[in-house]
Amino acid sequence: MGKTPPILLSNVGVRYNMRLKKKRTLRRSITQASRFDAQGHFWALRNINLEIQDGETVAVIGGNGAGKSTLLMTLAGILAPDDGSIAVYGSIATLLHVGAGFNDELNAEENILLVGAFLGVPTSVMRKKIPGILDFAEIGEFAKSEVRTYSSGMRARLGFAVATSVDPDVLLIDEVLSTGDASFRDKARDRILELMQKARAVVYVTHDLSSAKEFCTRSIELEGGKIIADGPARPIIDSYEKKMRGKLR
Amino acid sequence: MATASLRLTVGRPRRGPIGTIVETLRSIYQRRTLLLYLTMARVRQDGGSSLLGNLWLILDPAIQLAIYYFLVGIVLNRPQENFPLFLFAAILPWRWFTMALSSATESVRRHDKVMRQIAFPQIVLPLSAVAASTTSFFFGLIPLFSLYLVYPDRLTSWVLALPLVIAVQALWTLPFAIMFSALNVFLRDISSLVRHGLRLAFYVSPALFSFEKIQSVLAPYPPAHLILDLNPMAWILNAYRDLLYEGRSADWGALLAVALASIPFSLLSIYLFRRMSPSFVKVL
Repeated sequence: MGKTPPILLSNVGVRYNMRLKKKRTLRRSITQASRFDAQGHFWALRNINLEIQDGETVAVIGGNGAGKSTLLMTLAGILAPDDGSIAVYGSIATLLHVGAGFNDELNAEENILLVGAFLGVPTSVMRKKIPGILDFAEIGEFAKSEVRTYSSGMRARLGFAVATSVDPDVLLIDEVLSTGDASFRDKARDRILELMQKARAVVYVTHDLSSAKEFCTRSIELEGGKIIADGPARPIIDSYEKKMRGKLR
Repeated sequence: MATASLRLTVGRPRRGPIGTIVETLRSIYQRRTLLLYLTMARVRQDGGSSLLGNLWLILDPAIQLAIYYFLVGIVLNRPQENFPLFLFAAILPWRWFTMALSSATESVRRHDKVMRQIAFPQIVLPLSAVAASTTSFFFGLIPLFSLYLVYPDRLTSWVLALPLVIAVQALWTLPFAIMFSALNVFLRDISSLVRHGLRLAFYVSPALFSFEKIQSVLAPYPPAHLILDLNPMAWILNAYRDLLYEGRSADWGALLAVALASIPFSLLSIYLFRRMSPSFVKVL
């Protein structure tokens, strides 16, 4: 096709200065000794080489502390790489966790505009999305009242509706596929699938291996901040599952 | 839609201090809508979505005034002439300073969740806190000016010079707000230190008592006297008193000095904040 891949990471590394992060316990110092470099920096990601093509849905799996969230944040532009380079072609957005950026004192409409402002979406564009969002979330007359007064279900629906109102070229998902109550869940699933199909590439971080196998074409496994496996989703995830089950015994 | 069409981030882009400051200012301008909405949300929060709603923006300072009037004016029996006006002329700006610093200090920490999901210039967080407290300050001018109905002789045309003093105070507050918001991410104690420090500063400031009174009380303690002399907030409060209560010209030389010193401090704080901001999500 000759089109540039939407995501290209070359030798990306992201490090944390452990003097700042007080999670440095003795146990970690020993078990994760290899991730500390000479200056005592902790490399959350190291030597990451990743190229994601059009149409790929990549599941990112791995244990806790493997670097999955760090990878997402780096893709989203929240963290800058301390090593290497990252190129993202096209707009990129994280499927927001429910209620991210919401302010309780504002009503539904105002919160939609606030989240839009956080995302950098022009107000005029966001305003046009408001009716669709309110409709999808089934907010009804509560649209004019403060979010403070909403039930948890309403909040979840509104949060989800706003989060999925984005239509990015590259979609990042961090464990958000199971939200809301059962009746809303089907609507939610369809919406997410729709987004995944529209996007040029999707990166899905999750512990939910069954959904990973269901939605994704490819999978990478992170361990100790490095990619230790990269290939078609099903086999990679299956062998990861086997490994995990082996560990539990 | 969300971010630029191409984002190529290479290793560690080394921009000099000026480049960093310019880039930060540009990003603030690009995200001015976000700044506006955050400010509005904050003002709404301060004003209270309670029964009386926005009325609290006026009532809050008025009640605080009443309390100090009672405490200092009646109980401690140290009233100046037309004490309410004397008090309010300094308490209102001090309230502004306190609110701005307190809310700014917590502003970055409070938004940890959204910072981990969306990339945006975090500096809008302390800036919106300052903007919101400034808005509350303007609301507080209403009860202040209504005091002139009670003490009409205190009103002079010097009041028109007020915007100048307000501008100087805003400039002076900015670097503190920005720095404290960043430092509080790494050192949680900053929040408490700021709160207690402000409280202490209030009681030794010319807000409750006249400048001369404080000077005479602190005269036997040279170090404290020095703090008072070198405290730009004291000069600023004096300026408010001069214009609003004494009806005379303020010490424009001192104010100009504060303004000129604040500019490099503000730019420095912007630079430091921008250098520290990539580490915020790594720590929170």
